[in-house]
Amino acid sequence: MYMILELEHIQKYYGNKGNLTKAIKDISFSVEAGEFLSIMGASGSGKTTLLNCISTIDTVSAGHIYLDGTDITEIKPKSLARFRRENLGFVFQDFNLLDTLTISENIALALTINRMPARMIEKAVLEMAEQLNICDILDKYPYQVSGGQKQRCACTRAMIHKPKLLLADEPTGALDSHSAQMLLSTIQGIHRQIGTTILMVTHDAFTASYAERILFLQDGEIFMELYKGSDSRSAFFQKILNVLTMMGGGKSHVCETGFSKC
Amino acid sequence: MYVKLVFRNAKRSVRDYLVYVVTMTICVTLFYSFLSISSRYYKPDIGSEYDFTMLSDGMKAAVCMITLCLAFLIWFVNRYMLQRKQKEFALQLIMGMEQKTVAGLFFAETLIMGMISIGLGIFFGVFCSQFITAMLLTSYGKTYQLAWTLFPDTVLLTAVFFILSFFAVGSLNTYMIRKTKIVAMLSADRENEPELKKSRWIFAVVRIFEGFMLWRLITGIRKVWFYYDSRFAVPVQVMFWGNLFFPAVTLGCFLLWIVRRKKRKDSSLLLGLLVCSVCNAFLAASVPGIIHQYYLPLGSGIKNQYLVFLLADLLFFICDLIYLASGQIAAWKEKSPEHKYNGENLFFWGQIISKLNTTSKTMTLISITLVLAIVMFIAAPILTGWASGYLDSRSMYDVQIFSRYNQVYQEEYLPQDDYLLASDFLGEHRIEIASDCTFYLYLPKKEEFHNRKKYEFPAVAISLSDYNRILTMLGKEPIFLEENEFTTQWKSVAAKEERDDFLREHTHILTDAGELTLSEESYYQHEIGQTVYNSYTNVLYVFPDSICESLLPVMRDRYILTERGISYADACKLEREFIKEYPEQTENGTAYGIRLRTLQINGTKANNFVLQAGMIYAAVVLMVICLTILSLQQLLDAGQYRYRFSVLRKLGVEEQRIKRLVFRQLGVWFGLPVVVAVGAAVVVLVYFVQTISAEISAYIGSRALLIQIGATGGILMLLLICYFISTWILFQYSISE
Repeated sequence: MYMILELEHIQKYYGNKGNLTKAIKDISFSVEAGEFLSIMGASGSGKTTLLNCISTIDTVSAGHIYLDGTDITEIKPKSLARFRRENLGFVFQDFNLLDTLTISENIALALTINRMPARMIEKAVLEMAEQLNICDILDKYPYQVSGGQKQRCACTRAMIHKPKLLLADEPTGALDSHSAQMLLSTIQGIHRQIGTTILMVTHDAFTASYAERILFLQDGEIFMELYKGSDSRSAFFQKILNVLTMMGGGKSHVCETGFSKC
Repeated sequence: MYVKLVFRNAKRSVRDYLVYVVTMTICVTLFYSFLSISSRYYKPDIGSEYDFTMLSDGMKAAVCMITLCLAFLIWFVNRYMLQRKQKEFALQLIMGMEQKTVAGLFFAETLIMGMISIGLGIFFGVFCSQFITAMLLTSYGKTYQLAWTLFPDTVLLTAVFFILSFFAVGSLNTYMIRKTKIVAMLSADRENEPELKKSRWIFAVVRIFEGFMLWRLITGIRKVWFYYDSRFAVPVQVMFWGNLFFPAVTLGCFLLWIVRRKKRKDSSLLLGLLVCSVCNAFLAASVPGIIHQYYLPLGSGIKNQYLVFLLADLLFFICDLIYLASGQIAAWKEKSPEHKYNGENLFFWGQIISKLNTTSKTMTLISITLVLAIVMFIAAPILTGWASGYLDSRSMYDVQIFSRYNQVYQEEYLPQDDYLLASDFLGEHRIEIASDCTFYLYLPKKEEFHNRKKYEFPAVAISLSDYNRILTMLGKEPIFLEENEFTTQWKSVAAKEERDDFLREHTHILTDAGELTLSEESYYQHEIGQTVYNSYTNVLYVFPDSICESLLPVMRDRYILTERGISYADACKLEREFIKEYPEQTENGTAYGIRLRTLQINGTKANNFVLQAGMIYAAVVLMVICLTILSLQQLLDAGQYRYRFSVLRKLGVEEQRIKRLVFRQLGVWFGLPVVVAVGAAVVVLVYFVQTISAEISAYIGSRALLIQIGATGGILMLLLICYFISTWILFQYSISE
């Protein structure tokens, strides 16, 4: 199996000697190409910091991150923007759509800044919009559509230039349950169809249950790892809930219950 | 608690208010410094021959009138701040604050900023008023000394004026906040402005313009009906028919558009009207020149009427051009996918088009105001140069007494007096006479006495000895004439072509005393005063004394130079006594006049200073208002822009490309109104300079004019660049993470 993303002993500290906060203590893991990985944890567990480090928005204090063999911690600041736009796709909790552009223009923006030839853009937008079922709102402005539709537009924009890794930060955080379910089904469908590698950060068990593997973070460390394997989504969801229930009691309790990877 | 909240809000919003405070400080500084010379505690040493009250009253009126424009700036900035803070107001209302409390808090916040501006403005005004004093004393030819004085009445007037403006705008804001619903406040920043093509303001402008066209068409028909003659020269015929045809075409375009509204595009109407407005403007501009050139009697007020039409054409042209240019920006995006999907263009178009509706209106207003400011900046030195130059040729003598025979119909009523009253008065007041000349002006032919047509008034003649006495008085060399020879003396305002034509046609002249031949020295253009010429003429004949003895004397003048200047009080007294004895219009028709150098210089210098200072002040205020609005428009939306640019950064756009985008965006918003304004101002100024070209070459000089225009243009460009760069830097700072 080809590992598209590899993290080696990542550490991230904030503050100075007198007042040091360790957001990420020592994390290492790998993501296979085409895998759908979720990272779960309570507030302050370090999941967003980890996502920011992977997305090159923030720098690591120690360790290395390899994306498709490139050490992104070594990329010069000048080249980071180009690296981001060519290799990564982003989906944010608050959509990050531009209110001055229509839905189709918002999606096209990801292609135009990658210098795709103009004649190919409209066709590409239409094809992707069909897959995410947003063709009927392409000419509308973000403030004219629902939250679910906005997030599907954001997903389309993130995936249209076929990024090596799609990073999603609480994508269902601002959605109602119905919209969240629809969005996740769409993401799962696209993932299966195109085979995009997805790394999703969430604190919601239901959202995480759509992933194939879950890393649970606590106090800047990987608390445990959970594979979906051949389980149904509801069984996997139940397992996630059990882990979350027991996470309050600490690592020893989890090990006693017989979960595989601590 | 509320007081604390007001101060915390004001402190937090300091950066937002920075441009506002700076602008208001500049305005208060200018207001205070220009107004300080009208203070009753201001007593500059300008000498006994000058009276300061005329100037100070004039300045007070001019400065207060101009500063009313500032109320618009205060209103504009408040409106923007109001929009920006809608969400904050909504939260305060949801928390349970009453609407009047929210409005009061906002008012108190803006008042604090305003008071800071007033304080700073008065502080800087004390320094700046030194420049105004220096300017004033220089114009009166006095030396200047620094004097740091705070004038309490000016401080009070400044504070009252600005506080009243703040209160007026504050009550408007309170009304707006009370009227707006919470839900509208919450969603205010989420929606885009309506599209430009849905905006109807331009059609309101079109209707007003068509109203003018109807008025102009009626005027054109009336002029053709009452004054047209098929024997008129071609340019006159073009003027008559053009002023009828083009307004009719303009109205026709509009009517056709109304009838076929669904089929015709709005842009085709606006483009047609743009072309019509240019043709109409050219025709309206030609009217005063053609009337003057061909001596056309087209009824009173016709020149002013066509200048109003010209103004209407120009204003409509600016509105229409900016609207069409804005529409073209939006259309370009849709028509050119290649351009639209090129790099960050999509984002750039989004930025521009989302603000096109409001901004096109603001840009139109700014363009018009900028035209006014540029024209005033450049016209001020021209007008004052003209007035000063004219003053030099008017006030050649300490006392200048003259008469006119325009209303005299019998020869026995023609003036014969020696005006001894003047020399007696000077003697009584121990003002010694240095030189004195009392002389007649003669008609070459007696039969011309009854010729009273305005443009056919005969030129009068002066005897050689009187002419030489006048030249000697002014320190010039006397001239010589052979027997039966004559020469001419010309006003400096007379054009070379006019002089050459006249001399070509007058090589010989038939007088009541025989025929005279033009001397080899055919003309002189000495400055000898304006009253020596007959009404409506620019030339004076100089005849030998023997010839003049047989001619009809129609005017009697007296010029006196004194050993020392006459004080202002004495000059006023002499003028009063003279007018009592020799009224401006006597019963027998003779008109008398007296010009005293003291009063002429005093009046002209005061008016000149008020005109120059007032125009420069108005131009600076308007310029500052325009540039501040352009700048604020971008900076106050920077909060929204920060979010948009952060999305671009997240999508992987480099800082260098973002900087370029910002530059392009500011370039459009600054560039469009400035380019339109500069274009329109150039047209207005060329027309203005052409209209008064004779006066410019006589009193100012082309070189001096070009230097003035160059210097003013340079200052304006510098001001614009400063505003652009500071806005660019502040904008970058606002959107940085």
